[in-house]
Amino acid sequence: MNNEAQQDRHHRTARPARRGARILLAAGAAAFTLTAGLATPLNPAPQQAEAKADGKKTLTVAVAQSVDSLSPFLAQRLLSTSILRLTNEFLTNYDPKDNHVVPGFATEWKSSPDKLTWTYTIRSDSKWTDGQKATAKDAAFTFNKMMTDEGAATANGSFVGNFKKVTAPSDTQLVIELKKPQATMTALDVPIVPEHIWKDVKDYSKFNNDEKFPIVGNGPFELTAYKTDQYVKLRANKDFWRKSEKPQFDEIVFKTYKDQDAAVAALRKGEVSFVAGSPALTPAQAASLKGEKNIKVNEGPGRRFYAIAVNPGWKTKDGKKFGDGNKALLDKRVRQALFRSVDTKAIVDKVFQGHAVQGEGYIPPRFSEYFWKPTDSQKLSYDTAAAGKLLDEAGYPLKDGKRVGKDGKPLDLRMLCHATDPNDKAVGKYLKEWWGKIGVGLKLNCVDDVSVPWYAGEYDLAFDGWSVNPDPDFVLGIHTCAALPIKARETAATDNGICDKTYDDLYNKQLAEYDPAKRADYVKQMESWLYDSGYMNVMAYPNAVEAYRTDQIKSIQTMPTAAGNIYGQDGYWSWWSAEPATASDSSDSGSSSSTGVVIGIVIAALVVIGGGVFVMRRRRTTADDRE
Amino acid sequence: MTTQSLKVTSPRALARARKRQSAARFWKSYRSHKGGLWGLGLLFLIALVAILAPVLVGEDSQSVTDAPGGPLEGPSGEFPLGTDQFGRSVLALVVYGARVSLTVGLLAAFLCVAIGTVIGIVAGHFRGWYSTVLMRITDWFLVMPTLVLAIALATVMDRSMWTVIIAIGVTTWPTTARLVRAQTLAVESRPYIERARALGGGHGHIMTRHVLPNVMPLVLAQTTMIISSAILTEATLAFLGLSDPTITSWGGMLQDAREAGAVSAGDWWYLAPPGIAIAVVALSFTLCGRAVESVLNPKLGVRS
Repeated sequence: MNNEAQQDRHHRTARPARRGARILLAAGAAAFTLTAGLATPLNPAPQQAEAKADGKKTLTVAVAQSVDSLSPFLAQRLLSTSILRLTNEFLTNYDPKDNHVVPGFATEWKSSPDKLTWTYTIRSDSKWTDGQKATAKDAAFTFNKMMTDEGAATANGSFVGNFKKVTAPSDTQLVIELKKPQATMTALDVPIVPEHIWKDVKDYSKFNNDEKFPIVGNGPFELTAYKTDQYVKLRANKDFWRKSEKPQFDEIVFKTYKDQDAAVAALRKGEVSFVAGSPALTPAQAASLKGEKNIKVNEGPGRRFYAIAVNPGWKTKDGKKFGDGNKALLDKRVRQALFRSVDTKAIVDKVFQGHAVQGEGYIPPRFSEYFWKPTDSQKLSYDTAAAGKLLDEAGYPLKDGKRVGKDGKPLDLRMLCHATDPNDKAVGKYLKEWWGKIGVGLKLNCVDDVSVPWYAGEYDLAFDGWSVNPDPDFVLGIHTCAALPIKARETAATDNGICDKTYDDLYNKQLAEYDPAKRADYVKQMESWLYDSGYMNVMAYPNAVEAYRTDQIKSIQTMPTAAGNIYGQDGYWSWWSAEPATASDSSDSGSSSSTGVVIGIVIAALVVIGGGVFVMRRRRTTADDRE
Repeated sequence: MTTQSLKVTSPRALARARKRQSAARFWKSYRSHKGGLWGLGLLFLIALVAILAPVLVGEDSQSVTDAPGGPLEGPSGEFPLGTDQFGRSVLALVVYGARVSLTVGLLAAFLCVAIGTVIGIVAGHFRGWYSTVLMRITDWFLVMPTLVLAIALATVMDRSMWTVIIAIGVTTWPTTARLVRAQTLAVESRPYIERARALGGGHGHIMTRHVLPNVMPLVLAQTTMIISSAILTEATLAFLGLSDPTITSWGGMLQDAREAGAVSAGDWWYLAPPGIAIAVVALSFTLCGRAVESVLNPKLGVRS
């Protein structure tokens, strides 16, 4: 769970290599517009990706993210964890229809009456791709490794922190003993690894599992090849216990496209079958793809929330303060005033152009059992006058259009934004104007790697967003005191340095509660606390917007089935269920826009004329010089 | 004018008359370069548009919250160049963008030429190890790819317009320094420098009173040439997202357009205008620069 939930911070910070592509693009503004016009018309006929000589059916997915590691103990980014979902079994899986827990590597599970011992029945028909049988011993090895080796606990350590003992009395039985009750026992999103391969690994904190291919696994696909920032190739595992009724792709390739427009162009040309977008296709891209033949744009409610995080004053675990957040933000009224002057409806309408839902509670409405809404009296609705009043009360009266504190200094805030995320910059423009209206100054500080100022606590406000899993434990746990860093400036599990006793008590209660309704109630109380605190102000839940070629993919499972997403699911359903299209499924596509050609030609003509004039000038000047 | 200058007697008035005379000669010679006149005319027009931007397109046309149009609308009567993803008029943004591009271009070029001139003159004047050290530093900057260095600088500093100016200024000076040093060496080998030295002229006196006026024409020509490359670099850095995202510049507009997916959506009206604007301004400065260069080129002497 944490691996996928953590994706956002990482995925938003982890794209510096995109710069290379951008420099190329920047080579010349004229050349840039020229290629823009010509990219489509020059290649109007889509290549049939599945029509390969060897008859293999390949599904190519364009991704922007880099793989951080192929080791299940280290991988945290969405792409890597999605790949591990395909190559390794998890104890449990989630139903693609409605997210409820279904059997995976374990077929059954039960807890003892004292809630402290969990017994899992492991399936006997699962085999590693090297022919050995996958057993409960492998699962016990995986968990024990994470409990004893700190390096192996990097990605999923939070799951086993409360484990006392893990044993495998037989090949089909796994027993986990707990120190305290833990509600996430059916949602242990940990890839199980083969003991006979992994027992020889020396340093788990450094081994990235990318040396020997194919990689031994027991999932529906087998990883056969990987090249950093180029591709990850997977082959269908014919021995996988779950059989699909429909024909499947023989090969899945995750191909890296650092530039989203390049990925969209590749989809148009048929070079790739699927574009995920990072984090989503832009409204303009989605709108232009909707008109194309043989391309389907899929839109589903997102798993993410998109929020303004407010620096609460960072502390280490033992209470040492660090960071330089604005002191004014320690006042709840100031935090609430800031959020009351943010028009979330405008953000959804203008920035996301309807491809998002207005933000309310911390957990997106997609997870209906945990979704919480503020009551009418509690709601921090958009009201500039109320925001101004709150600031007056907090001691920041308006003076010459600026809010001035007791020390006579104007209230100017810095906001940390991800340079790689266009939404951050777009929303930042709105925030600057809205806050300008109530007299608060804003300076956007857009950087490629936000984690450095972030973990140093050197920001006032920041754009924040996390993907939420069916089990919300992880995204709740990142605001507890236990997640604070041990030393200042050190990477830690905490998201925003929040530490509060009320919240922590509620967190512990929900974790120990096995009754789903009662647990949901605690979770909602936590969301209510977060909302009131003004530390995490959720502006929107962006939709997943992705597109694929229907002449290459006949059908594919969305999750949840009704209006769900395809990329980044909790489970292997989408790629496992993808059905290759046959030749008859493609309708003739000659629909490439002719306007592109016209524009391309016009611009080319302009460039040629401009160049001609320039060359003539040059020749004349040199002629002059010679005189 | 020539007759006038003969009448005056005081040295200051004489010098003034001489300057006026050479300015007139300069202008006369410049006028004969058609390209230079075109460039100057275009620049004048662009500068006027930039200064009068609030009058021409309205003061609030950069505001996203009061944007009048829908996202990415095509050109129409109301919006001659369409709208951007926030519904602002692209024409208005191009007009406002001229301000940033010109400011950054001019200031960065000035910074670059200032550094280059100081280092060039000092290195040319003081021979020996001073010169060696300075020129090796210059060489080091010369072999460093300018754009990469500027990107590195802009990354470590705050994202703002000033960062971009500094990043361009401190990365593009080596060519100017080399040029100025060569000219300084040539000037200092003239006999009158030796005479000045014999009469007790110190280093400062020689550098500022004798060498500097003699390298100034070269510096002026160099400045006009560098402005166009500075504008292009500014656009590149802004396009790479290294400028302040809340200010409107042409490079920043291209970056916004790319991030909005305007390229794959084929929304040419958002991409072409800032691109063409960058090209036109850079071309104008180059035209002026070439004209100034051929007027002032010391190798060709002063032409009448």
